[in-house]
Amino acid sequence: MILAVVFANAEGNILIERFHGVPAEERLHWRSFLVKLGSDNLKGVKNEELLVASHKSVYIVYTVLGDVSIYVVGKDEYDELALSEVIFVITSVVKDVCGKPPTERLFLDKYGRICLCLDEIVWKGYLENTEKDRIKRLIRLKPPTEF
Amino acid sequence: MAQPLVKKDDDRDDEAEYSPFLGIEKGAVLQEARVFNDPQLDARRCSQVITKLLYLLNQGETFTKIEATEVFFAVTKLFQSRDIGLRRMVYLMIKELSPSADEVIIVTSSLMKDMNSKTDMYRANAIRVLCRITDGTLLAQIERYLKQAIVDKNPVVASAALVSGIHLLQTNPEIVKRWSNEVQEAVQSRAALVQFHALALLHQIRQNDRLAVSKLVTSLTRGTVRSPLAQCLLIRYTSQVIRESSNNTQTGDRPFYDFLESCLRHKSEMVIFEAARAITELNGVTNRELTPAITVLQLFLSSSKPVLRFAAVRTLNKVAMTHPMAVTNCNIDMESLISDQNRSIATLAITTLLKTGNESSVDRLMKQITNFMSDIADEFKIVVVDAIRSLCLKFPLKYRSLMNFLSNILREEGGFEYKKAIVDSIVILIRDIPDAKENGLLHLCEFIEDCEFTYLSTQILHFLGVEGPKTSDPGKYIRYIYNRVHLENATVRACAVSTLAKFGAAVESLKPRIFVLLRRCLFDSDDEVRDRATLYLNTLGGDGTVFETDKDVKDFLFGYFDIPLVNLENSLKNYEPSEEPFDLNSVPREVKSQPLVEKKAPGKKPTGLGAPPSGPPSTADAYERLLASIPEFADFGKLFKSSPPVELTEAETEYAVNVVKHIFDRHVVFQYNCTNTIPEQLLEEVTVIVDASDAEEFSEVFSKPLRSLPYDSPGQTFVAFEKPEGLPTVGKFSNILKFIVKEVDPSTGEAEDDGVEDEYQLEDLDVVAADYMLKVGVSNFKNAWETMDPDAERVDEYGLGPRENLAEAVNTVINLLGMQPCEGTETVPPNARSHTCLLSGVFIGNVKVLVRLSFGLDGARDVAMKLAVRSEDVSVSDAVHEIVASG
Repeated sequence: MILAVVFANAEGNILIERFHGVPAEERLHWRSFLVKLGSDNLKGVKNEELLVASHKSVYIVYTVLGDVSIYVVGKDEYDELALSEVIFVITSVVKDVCGKPPTERLFLDKYGRICLCLDEIVWKGYLENTEKDRIKRLIRLKPPTEF
Repeated sequence: MAQPLVKKDDDRDDEAEYSPFLGIEKGAVLQEARVFNDPQLDARRCSQVITKLLYLLNQGETFTKIEATEVFFAVTKLFQSRDIGLRRMVYLMIKELSPSADEVIIVTSSLMKDMNSKTDMYRANAIRVLCRITDGTLLAQIERYLKQAIVDKNPVVASAALVSGIHLLQTNPEIVKRWSNEVQEAVQSRAALVQFHALALLHQIRQNDRLAVSKLVTSLTRGTVRSPLAQCLLIRYTSQVIRESSNNTQTGDRPFYDFLESCLRHKSEMVIFEAARAITELNGVTNRELTPAITVLQLFLSSSKPVLRFAAVRTLNKVAMTHPMAVTNCNIDMESLISDQNRSIATLAITTLLKTGNESSVDRLMKQITNFMSDIADEFKIVVVDAIRSLCLKFPLKYRSLMNFLSNILREEGGFEYKKAIVDSIVILIRDIPDAKENGLLHLCEFIEDCEFTYLSTQILHFLGVEGPKTSDPGKYIRYIYNRVHLENATVRACAVSTLAKFGAAVESLKPRIFVLLRRCLFDSDDEVRDRATLYLNTLGGDGTVFETDKDVKDFLFGYFDIPLVNLENSLKNYEPSEEPFDLNSVPREVKSQPLVEKKAPGKKPTGLGAPPSGPPSTADAYERLLASIPEFADFGKLFKSSPPVELTEAETEYAVNVVKHIFDRHVVFQYNCTNTIPEQLLEEVTVIVDASDAEEFSEVFSKPLRSLPYDSPGQTFVAFEKPEGLPTVGKFSNILKFIVKEVDPSTGEAEDDGVEDEYQLEDLDVVAADYMLKVGVSNFKNAWETMDPDAERVDEYGLGPRENLAEAVNTVINLLGMQPCEGTETVPPNARSHTCLLSGVFIGNVKVLVRLSFGLDGARDVAMKLAVRSEDVSVSDAVHEIVASG
């Protein structure tokens, strides 16, 4: 299960968050845990360089893209490797939608589009689509090219 | 931040740093949402409003029921628009709003229409939305369409239906299970993702059908799997099949191993890892099987990607727990990871190295870790401390450098949990490695000189009071303890006074000087400190008015409070004020369902400093006191050994009974711990009728019934047997629980006056040779062996017949003898053809015994064993041989 996908800005404010199977009362804990993890470790990290951590039986893969830091949390079959696959898809669509590693402003400008992409990538905690070109077409309700 | 050179393509450049959602406010957005109701829909505007709504929801804003309903109804109007971008937004918005059951009906028809639309993408999205918001009844209506969708030509539609199936399986399994033919077809799909999703769903549908899973795996491992993700799933299912089949083929090869091994050469890293992990987790994996997996993992240790390094070191860390030798080849790569930027990786590398390191590498490793410790967080440090403690117990000879390391990190900055972990480790080492005691106690003394945690100071002072007086020079600790009386808060001061008193009681030569110190404490500013000083001065130096004998004083000072606090609390609550004073001896000593608690926490780490006071006194001490309170056992002499409780009933039966075997020189006492689990019953006159006809050399001498056994309040009954003196007599006993049962009215809790006699069959009980052996380790087996008289050595050889492997044979013999394995020799390297195991123990009559077992395995898997026994008494050496010969 992919427990969470969280986007935050450089100050640690949440831009988008998607939780799956995490009780509402635990979300605050996760939010602050992830933001702290980012502020401790993401300084000076290159765009899209993946960092990894584990907390109890849960894995976290996170990175930075422009002004935005991205965290993906998973457990069981979504271990650090599967999550790195997930985050790779996410970073590549965000770059694609924004045209470059986004500033916070650019990210918010494309907010609706990014939400749609995320909807195509993670479906209630499971990875659904993995190719950015296909996702790009899907959010415009166009069938994939290979079809 | 002006950006004059940027092309002015729209009107927002001047405010580039401002959020487009700046000043966004829920009320205003909800107002804006009214555009959804316009007869002429402005698709662009509507999309913007939906984006704002999504932003609000993502910021944690919540809509009231009325607001949500209003927005939902408005959004459903948007189905009228033919704008594709807007339609996609509408799908997302409906999912985000997750409408309630009574609202769903509004969109159902629109969605059903989309589900049958000619536009593929409408179909796919409508399926996803419907499955998200639907309930069982609606599902039955749309099932037909979903089954079609699973085999749809368009992979997006098929995937949407399959992933929906995975979710729906949780809520409506009976419906989804009917789709297995379609799903089976989808597994053969040429589209990579469809195959992945179909495989996951098919496995979930059939997971309880071993044969079906096995067939699925067999066909797919031969065919082609199109995506790395599906390949990973296949590897997981394959290892499940291997686990469940568990028997090797006739050639000795493991089924599917070749498939796993071939996956190690896959082009996707994810697949390689999955295969490597699957191989390392195989039951009873051999070195030959492990080697290729370890080799690929080793390569990943030096990958430039942190995720791959992490994955590799995490897997190797797991392997090191079971096959430390297999990982040693990677030690050099892992040592370089100690300085990895990512602390999770560094910590895993360190703890792996601590597991795989051999005795000679300990010092070098400790040097590296010292540098590393200063820049990691406390939670990582605790992991390292735990690993070092295990290492020290594995290599007791290295205690000096490991203890030094622990004492050094104890002096550095750190939070309470971390300091507690270190102190606990030092205490455990002091307990388990006698040579480390004095050194360790001094480290603890130095620590309390500058310790900011009252809890740790008092725990250490208590521990010093117990262990300090037993050392060669107890006097040297007094200064540290007395310093506390001057420098610390009242809690620590009071504890220091108690510790001083213990030294005074235990070491006669120190007594006069302790008196001087205690007298000074009489002027303390805190009343508890003064009270304790007064009490101890009177007990220790008293004229016999407080305690009559020296033994009473020691019992008072060193005795445990062996009444579980829970029981005491219950008894006090039930006590009604009357003429009769509360009797502490009436409080039951037995802790409720104690064996269950022990079972639940098998991996619980030993807590270093003293067991929690409310816990059961699990030591032999507590049993000894319990038995001493029964006059009939008074002349049995000193208790030699008490066995762990043996269950005589299945879990969750009406009456739960377990038995503890107490071994004396000429007697054996069975302590039956009984619990009545039926609230409507009260049992009285509870006894166990023991039939010893299969234990000829035992004769029953006494039976102590339990007067009353109310619901959920454990009690004990005892049966004592006489046996030949000093001999390891064995036998089998059958047991029947006999009692009078009385009905209890649950509303009043009162029992009826009349009861009925009843019996309850219990399991049989064996007294075995191992019951006469105490597990007592030695820190240096070689020395101990050589100091024993070689003339008292008895050597013989035995054939143990065919065995699965050597480890099994070694375990059997260890359990048969009930002795303590030394120097980690109980672990047999996988696939070993020969092994030497060292055991030590104390035999009944307090005779030290050492055993050296040499095992060998021949081609036909027959195990031969050479048994060499040395003991202080030749007859005991012979007895050990007899145990093996008759076992």
